[in-house]
Amino acid sequence: MTRILAPGSTAPPAFRALPPLSLYVHLPWCIRKCPYCDFNSHEWRRGGDGPPEDAYVDALVADLESALPSVWGRKVPTVFLGGGTPSLFSPEAIDRLLAAIRARLPLAAGAEVTMEANPGTFERERFEGFRDAGVNRLSIGVQSFSPRHLAALGRVHDAAEARAAVDAAVELFDEVNLDLMYGLPDQAVDEALADVEEALAFRTKHLSCYQLTLEPNTLFHRHPPPLPDEDEVDAMQSAIEARLERAGFDHYEVSAYARPGHRCMHNVNYWRFGDYLGIGAGAHGKVSSPDRVVREVRWKQPIRYLEQAIAGTPAMERREVAAGELGFEFMLNVLRLTEGVPATLFAERTGVPLAAIGRELGIATRRGLLDPDPSVLRATPLGRRFLNDLVALFLRDGAHAKEPA
Amino acid sequence: MPFVFPRPTAPVKPIRNFSIIAHIDHGKSTLADRFIQRCGGLADREMEAQVLDSMALERERGITIKAQTAALAYKARDGVTYRLNLIDTPGHVDFAYEVSRSLAACEGALLVVDASQGVEAQTVANCYTATEQGVTVIPVLNKIDLPSADPERVIAEIEDIIGIDAQDAIRASAKTGEGIDDILEAVIARIPAPAGDEDAPLQALVIDSWFDNYVGVVMLVRVMHGRLRPRDKILMMATGATYGCESVGVFTPKSVSRDSLSAGEVGFVIAGIKELKGAQVGDTITLVSRPAAAPLPGFKLVKPQVFAGLYPVEANQYEALRDALAKLKLNDASLHYEPEVSQALGFGFRCGFLGLLHMDIVQERLEREYDMDLITTAPTVVYQVLLRDGTLLEIENPSKLPDLSKVEEIREPIITVSILTPQEYVGPVLTLCTEKRGTQRNMQYLGRQVMLTYELPLAEVVMDFFDKLKSVSRGYASLDYEFREFRAADVVKLDILINGERVDALSVMVHRSVAQYRGREVAAKMRSLIPRQMFDVAVQAAIGAQIIARESIKALRKNVLAKCYGGDITRKRKLLEKQKAGKKRMKSVGSVEIPQEAFLAILKVGEK
Repeated sequence: MTRILAPGSTAPPAFRALPPLSLYVHLPWCIRKCPYCDFNSHEWRRGGDGPPEDAYVDALVADLESALPSVWGRKVPTVFLGGGTPSLFSPEAIDRLLAAIRARLPLAAGAEVTMEANPGTFERERFEGFRDAGVNRLSIGVQSFSPRHLAALGRVHDAAEARAAVDAAVELFDEVNLDLMYGLPDQAVDEALADVEEALAFRTKHLSCYQLTLEPNTLFHRHPPPLPDEDEVDAMQSAIEARLERAGFDHYEVSAYARPGHRCMHNVNYWRFGDYLGIGAGAHGKVSSPDRVVREVRWKQPIRYLEQAIAGTPAMERREVAAGELGFEFMLNVLRLTEGVPATLFAERTGVPLAAIGRELGIATRRGLLDPDPSVLRATPLGRRFLNDLVALFLRDGAHAKEPA
Repeated sequence: MPFVFPRPTAPVKPIRNFSIIAHIDHGKSTLADRFIQRCGGLADREMEAQVLDSMALERERGITIKAQTAALAYKARDGVTYRLNLIDTPGHVDFAYEVSRSLAACEGALLVVDASQGVEAQTVANCYTATEQGVTVIPVLNKIDLPSADPERVIAEIEDIIGIDAQDAIRASAKTGEGIDDILEAVIARIPAPAGDEDAPLQALVIDSWFDNYVGVVMLVRVMHGRLRPRDKILMMATGATYGCESVGVFTPKSVSRDSLSAGEVGFVIAGIKELKGAQVGDTITLVSRPAAAPLPGFKLVKPQVFAGLYPVEANQYEALRDALAKLKLNDASLHYEPEVSQALGFGFRCGFLGLLHMDIVQERLEREYDMDLITTAPTVVYQVLLRDGTLLEIENPSKLPDLSKVEEIREPIITVSILTPQEYVGPVLTLCTEKRGTQRNMQYLGRQVMLTYELPLAEVVMDFFDKLKSVSRGYASLDYEFREFRAADVVKLDILINGERVDALSVMVHRSVAQYRGREVAAKMRSLIPRQMFDVAVQAAIGAQIIARESIKALRKNVLAKCYGGDITRKRKLLEKQKAGKKRMKSVGSVEIPQEAFLAILKVGEK
C-alpha cells in the first residue's frame, strides 16, 4: 500500500534490520528514598518483611512472557537490573529471575549482566551470591566517600560501608562501576577531587560522575540545599575530567568514564539508539518492528504492577513514536557519546533517511555545535557543553505520537 | 478644528442625542450601563458588566476605545416616551479624535466628574471641544455616595477650570442608582431636540465605521436631514461611490433593524461595502436619486504620532503578520503600516499609532487574536530632517537618519501639554517637566488645583512621561496635549552594538544633553535583559563613532543533562521543550538571542 504524505511530513520508518535489543529489569524498592532521586523507587516500610520478592519475580516472569511475541528470536547482548536498589533482593530471587530470563530470551554468549547495588552491611556474601546467579558487572551507588556529603545526600550508608562494599565488589567482579556525584551541598573543588581520587584507588574499570541536579518531584527541588555556584561546579568537572584522563579513563559519554574495553555496553546501547525491552514496575521500553517504533511504560506503583503483570497486561502506556520525533530521540541519545556515531547509523536505527533532519543538521553545524564532517554525527566541544541547545534544535513542534492500531 | 452644525428650528421631536464626557475611572461606563438598565435596553441577565465597552480588551483595561451607541426608550415624567441616543466616547488622550467624532453626532453631553477626585485635564479638553461644537453640557457629580465626596468643592472647580455654570449640577451615583432619573430628565429638559428637515435631501454623517465578518462594513451615522430607508441607492459624497442600502437600524445596544432613519436620529447603515476605505469616517451619505447640494463638514484625518517596527519572531510569519495588520486596519482607520526591512530583524512593518496606549492595544490584539509572536522596536516620533541641499525629510525610523554631514538640522515635534494637578504636587510636576526639556507657558491656580501649560518635546512624553507624572503626583495629575510645531533640536542617534555589530532595530533618537546618561543606562538595562548565552556578549552604546558605554554578559558554562538513560526520553523531551519555549519570544541577531524586552530597553531606563 502506498501512503500519501502531506508535504513536509516524514515518511513512517522502514527498517532494513532491527536494532540490537537489550533487556532492562526494574526492581523498585529502596530502604529509603534519597532526597535528590526522581526515579521510580519506593521505600519499603521499616520493620516490615522486605519486598515481596517471590511475588515480584513471578510478576517479572509473567511480564516477560507477555512481551515475548514482540521480540521473538532476537538475541539479547545485555541485561541490566536497575532500581531502586536491586541488591536488596536475595541472591536466590536474583538467581530465579536470571534463570527465567535465560530460559525465555536468547542471551548472547558472554552477555553483559549488570546489577545496581548500594553499600550496606554484610554485602560480601550477597555479592558472591549475585555473581553465582550470573551477574557479571556490578554498579555501586557510592556517590561520595565524605561522611559530611553522604549525610547531606541522605544516603543510608556511611563511608566505611562504602569502602567495604567496593572492596568486595572488585574482589568478586571483573567489571565494576562506581557512581559518584559532584556539585554536592557546600562541596569544594578539592573535596570533589578527593572522592574521585579515592574511587581510583580501587582500580575499578568504570566510573560515572554525575553533577547533582535538582529534579522536579524531589525533596531537594522543594527545599534546595546550598549548592556550589556555576563556576565552582565547572571547575570540579574540569578537574575530574583531567584527573580521570590522566588515570587512563576515556570520557566516552557526558557522565561516563571507562578504561579501554570496559564501557557499559547496556548504556551504550541506549546511546546508540538501540532497542530495549523494559520489564518491572515503571520500566520504559522501546521496541522497533519493521515499520514502527513503539514505546511502552509499565505500571508504576509496585502493588498495581504486581496485579497487572500477573493478569498479562503489564503496560500502562504504549505509543507509537511518530516518524517526525525519531530524529530528536536519536540525536538526544547519540550526541551524548563523545565520539558520536557514524552518520549511517541514523537510517539504520530510526528507519527514516538522514535527509529528514537535513535542515536541522545545517543549523547545528553553522552554529558550531555539530562536527561538520558528514560521515559522523558528533557534537563539537561547544556542542558538548551546550548539548541541550544542540539537541533542542531537533525538536519538532506538533510531532505528536499516535496510538498504535 | 471645531465646526458647528447648523441647528435650524424645527418641530420638536421626542429624541435626544447625547454623549458622556468623563475621565477614565470616573464612572462613565457604569453610568451608561445604568441608563441601559433603567430603559430596559437589555434584560438583567444580558447586562454583562459595562456592556458598551464591548471589546474584550476594553473591558479588561476599563477603557473605551471605539465609539458605541445605545438607543434608549425612556418614559419621562411628562408622560412622553423619548428616544435617548447615547453615544459613548473614549476617555483616553490617545483617542481624543474619537471624542470630537462622537460629539458631532450630539446636541448635548453629560460632563461626569468624580465628586471626590474633581476635574481632570482630559475632561477639560473634551469639554472645550464640546462647547466649541455648540453642544450643551450638563454637569453631573458622580460617586456622590462616597464619604470622601465633596460636591461643593468640585462644583467650584468645574466653574473655575472649565468655566461653565455648575450650580445645578446633578448629584448621582451610578453605583447605587441615585440621581439616574434626574439625569435622564435633565437630558430631556436641557438638551435641545435635534433639528433638521426630514423632507430635505438626505445628509447623514458617518461617525464611525467598522468591519463585521458577516455583513461587511457597518457605518454608524447621524442623519442631519432627510430620511434613509433600506433599498435606497446611496452616494458617498467624498468618494463618489454608490451602494445599495441593505438595512438600517439602531443599537439598544443590541442591533435592531428599523424601516428608516430620519433627520435627528443616530443609527447604523449596512450597504454591502466590502472595505473600510469605502466608508470613511466624516463622509456624508446622500441619495443618488436626490443628492444634497453639499456634504456636511467632515473630520480632519488623524496622523499617527508614534512609530515602531513590528517584526515576526519567525521569519515565515511575515505573511501572517501582514494579513493580521490588514484585518486590524479594517476596524482601526488610525492604524498605519508599511513594509520595512531591518538588517537585524528581517522583514517587518513600520507602524504608526496615535499614542503608546494605541500601540499597546494593537500589539496585544495581534498577539491575542491573531496568535502572533512579535518583536516590537522602541517607539519613536517623527523627526523632520533638513538636508544641506534644502530637502526636508520626515524620518519615522532612527536607523534611516541620513549621514550627518548632509544634515543641516533636525527638528523634533513639540506639543503643548496641559497638566491639571492638585496644588501639593506642583513642585515635583514642575521638576519633571523641566527634566523633560519643557518650557513653561502658563501656570494658573484654580481653587485646589493648578493648571500648568508646557511646551514639551513629544519624544519625551512618548517615552515615560505618563508614568512619571502619575508617580510624582500619586496618580492625581492628569494631562492633555496637542501638536504645536516642529522645532530644531540638538538630537543625536544613539546606536547599540551587540558583539561589535550595530543593530539597526535598537537605534533611538535622544537629546544630546542626556545621550551619555541614556547610553549607559540602556547598555546596563540590556545586560540585565539579555540572558546569558553560549559565549560572552558585549553590549555597547555609541554616538557616531564614539563608544560611550560598554557592558558584557558572561557566557553560560554549560547546558547539559547529567543523566539520560532509556526510561527518560519523555521527561527529557518535556524539559527541552520547556527550555525551547522560553526562547520563543527571542530574536536571533547575528548569533545572539535577544528577548523582546531588550528591544524596549530605552523605555525601561530608570526602572529598578
